[in-house]
Amino acid sequence: MSQPSEQATGSIYDLGYRRYEGVRLGRRHAMAAIYLQGLKGAFGIGRRTSSKIIPIVLAIIVMVPAAIQLGLAALAPRDVAVIKPENYFGFVDIILALFCAAVAPELVGRDQRTRTLSLYFSRSLLRSDYAVAKFAALVTALLIVMLVPQVLLFGGSALASSDSWAYLQDNWRQVAPIVGSAVGIAVFMGSISLVIAAQTPRRAYATGGVLAFFVILRAVGGILTGTLSGDYRRYSVLMDPFIILRGLTTWIFRSAPEGVIADVHISGWFYLLAAVVVAGVSLALLYRRYQKVET
Amino acid sequence: MPSMPLLETFSLTKRYGLAVTALDNLSISLEPGIIGLVGANGAGKSTLLKILLGLLTPTSGSATLLGFDVATQGPELRQFVGYMPEHDCLPIDMTATDFVAHMAEVNGLPRRAARERTAETLRHVGLFEERYREMRGYSTGMKQRVKLAQALVHDPRLMLLDEPTNGLDPEGRDEMLDLVHRTGTEFGIAVIMSSHLLGEIEQVCDHLVVIEAGKLVRSDAVSTFTARTGVLTVEVETGAGQLAERLRQQGLAVREDGREVLVGLANAQPYDLIRDSIVDLGLGLVRIEQRRQSLEELFRPAALDEGTNVAAV
Repeated sequence: MSQPSEQATGSIYDLGYRRYEGVRLGRRHAMAAIYLQGLKGAFGIGRRTSSKIIPIVLAIIVMVPAAIQLGLAALAPRDVAVIKPENYFGFVDIILALFCAAVAPELVGRDQRTRTLSLYFSRSLLRSDYAVAKFAALVTALLIVMLVPQVLLFGGSALASSDSWAYLQDNWRQVAPIVGSAVGIAVFMGSISLVIAAQTPRRAYATGGVLAFFVILRAVGGILTGTLSGDYRRYSVLMDPFIILRGLTTWIFRSAPEGVIADVHISGWFYLLAAVVVAGVSLALLYRRYQKVET
Repeated sequence: MPSMPLLETFSLTKRYGLAVTALDNLSISLEPGIIGLVGANGAGKSTLLKILLGLLTPTSGSATLLGFDVATQGPELRQFVGYMPEHDCLPIDMTATDFVAHMAEVNGLPRRAARERTAETLRHVGLFEERYREMRGYSTGMKQRVKLAQALVHDPRLMLLDEPTNGLDPEGRDEMLDLVHRTGTEFGIAVIMSSHLLGEIEQVCDHLVVIEAGKLVRSDAVSTFTARTGVLTVEVETGAGQLAERLRQQGLAVREDGREVLVGLANAQPYDLIRDSIVDLGLGLVRIEQRRQSLEELFRPAALDEGTNVAAV
């Protein structure tokens, strides 16, 4: 706090500066700072209200299926599981894509737009450290958005059940696949969204690019699956990012496949492979983008 | 302990494509101090600073800064370096306090120390209550202060300032130069500051590096650039010819230059003689001064002699 007396005297500029003799924590601390800043920025925390609206509204929409299920469970306590953890992603996948399209440009486009990138890259970290921190921030934001409703669903179902302890005993094995599938989805969506958004400082282009990726590939996948036949048709579902993630989720939960996934009946390993390849290529391209970007 | 050079470059070259050579075999060695980097726009000043910061990779050659190799020891080096770019670089939807504190943390300061240093540094650069407001509404002068603060918040051993007075009005310019000068002299932080305005460099720096078209023209102490010359300028309203003739008869080395008579100061101090001659001839004296070279004059030989504001003798 500056005191009034400081303002009153003439030599106000000299009062503050002292040498710093304390520790300098280096790259990992720098990454942690960028990660936390990114995570807060993803939800508009520390920014004006208009930056909070879209991410918060989308995060709330992702909770709607959990709320519906809990409402049903409260009305009809006879264990009606309309919305199961393994199906949850299927209800909200488009909303998650919208969340990525809104948040990824905020995380990586903003520093390019305001040219703050040159301040980051002239500090004590590597360009790849910056990219890793931003990626971790987006993955964490997606995990929060996905796992909060799952926790509500799980906890709420346990409380609503006639015997909560028995519910937990019966269902605790769900925790690992819930978390595992959420991590898989977050890494997949986070990496592809981030690399697309990092290509341009322009927010509108970045958002459009992320949406186009999901929407166009979904359409292409649908058309291929509808027109091809035989093995071509079976593997053509891997064109659709949402199908990749649904297949991956089904495989992680070892649940009964439904819809087109049941229809084409390919090994779960293919979904995993497709997800790993897409995420791996995205992260490699993200690395390359930041090695080359002019600041 | 022998003093380590602040900066050494070895045949540093940067080409963009085949056509543009921004730096051409630049080799310099500089001792710590307040160093001015002068050259026309496009001379390679920003390119040099960016290479030193690891923001650009040189086409060939190498450089060390504070004893660190800029290419291989970037993160270690940059803990001790602050950079103020020429261009805008502030996220205007943050407050100055939040932004500078964040930048201090990215430089490795623990959160608490980052907060404390931010408050001190923003005060030092002259930002008070405004620092809690979004930077959106800041004037150019305030933005320049924040840019300086983020380069200073982690207490660097060296600051690289790229055209720090860009876009400032004359008053803001003087304040910024004063701030840079004080930071360099009172806190012992070495400064390399680029500018295309020689007057600024003269005001602030003790060493001058001149580059042109990516090549080193000269690197020397500012005082050697502006040393007094052995010439006395005598300006009279009329009758310069008469005066020159008279002084020549008295045995002085004299040259006529428009309304001015230039008198060599080789032996004696001919002030009395000049005064008496002017009185005898009944001429109107405008000024007598010992000529001092200004930087402006050095680099713009065609320009009129107008920057030498040395008090008349």
